[in-house]
Amino acid sequence: MRQLILQRLALLILVMFAVTIATFASINLSDTPLKNFIAAGAELDTNGHCDAIRAGEMDDTQQLGQNVGDCEYIDRIKAENNLDDDIFTRYGSWLGDIASGDLGTSTTSRLEVSSILKDRLPITIRLVVMTQIIAIGVAVPWGLAAAYRANRGFDRVSTFASFGLLSIPNFALAVILLYIFGIRLQWFPTRYSNNGWYDELKSLFIPAITLGVGLSATYQRLLRTDLITTLQDDFVHMARAKGMPDRHIMYRHALRPSMFSLVTVFGVNTGALLGGTLVIETIFSIPGVGRELVEAVIRTDPPVVMAFVAVIAAGFVIINFLVDLLYGWLDPRVRSS
Amino acid sequence: MSDMDAETTIVGADVDEMPDDAVEKELGIGFWVCIGWLATIGLVALLAPWLPVTSDGAQGGPREAPSMSHWFGTDANGRSVFDLTILGARTSLAVGLFAIIFGMVVGGSLGIVAGYFKGKVDAVIGFIFFSLLSFPQLVLALLIVNAFDQVSLFTVAITLGILAVAPVGRLARAATLVFAEREFVLAAKVIGAKHFRIIIRELLPNVLIPMAALGLLGMGVAIVAEGGLAFLGLSVDGGESWGITINDGRQSRDLQENPWVAMFPIGVMFLTILSLNFAGDRVREYFDVRETAF
Repeated sequence: MRQLILQRLALLILVMFAVTIATFASINLSDTPLKNFIAAGAELDTNGHCDAIRAGEMDDTQQLGQNVGDCEYIDRIKAENNLDDDIFTRYGSWLGDIASGDLGTSTTSRLEVSSILKDRLPITIRLVVMTQIIAIGVAVPWGLAAAYRANRGFDRVSTFASFGLLSIPNFALAVILLYIFGIRLQWFPTRYSNNGWYDELKSLFIPAITLGVGLSATYQRLLRTDLITTLQDDFVHMARAKGMPDRHIMYRHALRPSMFSLVTVFGVNTGALLGGTLVIETIFSIPGVGRELVEAVIRTDPPVVMAFVAVIAAGFVIINFLVDLLYGWLDPRVRSS
Repeated sequence: MSDMDAETTIVGADVDEMPDDAVEKELGIGFWVCIGWLATIGLVALLAPWLPVTSDGAQGGPREAPSMSHWFGTDANGRSVFDLTILGARTSLAVGLFAIIFGMVVGGSLGIVAGYFKGKVDAVIGFIFFSLLSFPQLVLALLIVNAFDQVSLFTVAITLGILAVAPVGRLARAATLVFAEREFVLAAKVIGAKHFRIIIRELLPNVLIPMAALGLLGMGVAIVAEGGLAFLGLSVDGGESWGITINDGRQSRDLQENPWVAMFPIGVMFLTILSLNFAGDRVREYFDVRETAF
């Protein structure tokens, strides 16, 4: 077991390196990285005019497509992101900063990236928690009912339904639910609002349902398959023979040993959801991690993009790592191999 | 969304394991209905340049409800939603098809090479797949799209293709591991066939079957991912795709006054994804590929 943990830990560290390199390279691997750092509208110092302006050889009247404000802005961005260094030095210092908790400064809003993250992360976490509660809340009874009489009427219909649910893209489901419950029935707000916890809960409800319904279909199928296997075990036959009521057998005996794959996939999906809420957050204007990441990409804010992607990927990788360990702890066969 | 957790992929092609009471397997009527729908959509998309469809705004008044002249109604700019859906099918299907072909060629080759040579090669390629899967799907897409200077049909297709590399590659690797142990491969080795020949002549034909089953599912995943990018404002600039049209139609005023702009493309997209998933699932069962990586 210890060896397994060490192996996984080594892999985790390697993957974290790979992930940060990929993240960093996607923005910095360019012959003019500065172009990826400055906001649209500001001019690049393509003619070297900034040097002339700085030296006092040129002034605003001779600016030729370059003005002093832009020059100051470019200098600042360059200094903040060490853009004059070579790419390896920059990666090293960026990684060092990230590892020591300094996520950098937004190039547009001038806010500390860590403080933006502190504002945004809790909202996304609340959305993910609601999603998972809904998904499990739907999937467990659904899986029990489907497995109880497998391949009969209800199970057939439910297999069909889960197939349909898995084929609806979540943005399409979001639009449909938004239309029905937000616009026609007006039961729920169409966008995020946060006047107290009840208000927030209400505004996160449709987004959570949207994400949760598709997940519940995945969970339900897993649980159903495992339950069907468990229900053929001897101890279930024994319980039946003793005359225990079916309901008791399903809840007390069969459910727990059948939760195995469900727990694993639940964990993996928790990680995936942290980065998988981009579209839903955009649709419902939820100021979470995903929406901030998308906006940072659009407004050209590389420090935010890099830090957020690194954090999301790290969360994803670490959760998968923990799930792996849990897997080993739950299933003795994994431990020895 | 798909769960990225592809632990093991087992390709059951063992002839000796055939059950005695093996019923002759059929793809079933549902499969052909799905293929029929996909063929229709594909044909319409292919022929769109010669069909009387246009994305010009001058075809009808703004926000006309569905009628005989505009089956799916018109959007805020007076564009026919029916025409937009057909033109969108071109982008969505092309991107999906390209992505999965890219995934199969790149991921498939890497996977076969990893599964065949094992050892260090396998460790390196496996690590690349693992790292690619360490990003949530859309986050990776966002990162790749962002690395390009502008968003075109090609860059979106490449992005989605890169997303498909790891899942397809893992499947190809797992299938290769199974087949590389089989007698016909050993026989080829014994008579001194070169690695390249073994891979192309012995392994590839066998690994292609599970990959084809995954191809249909993967194309659905790619089409949905394109839609996701469109919602983030990062799909083809100024183009039409299902995602782009749905995203246009979900803006609050549009959704309130002319919901058909979003709903009709959603319907068409849903049927297409459903068909891809169902057909893919049937093919998978038919060839007895037990698990998928998507």
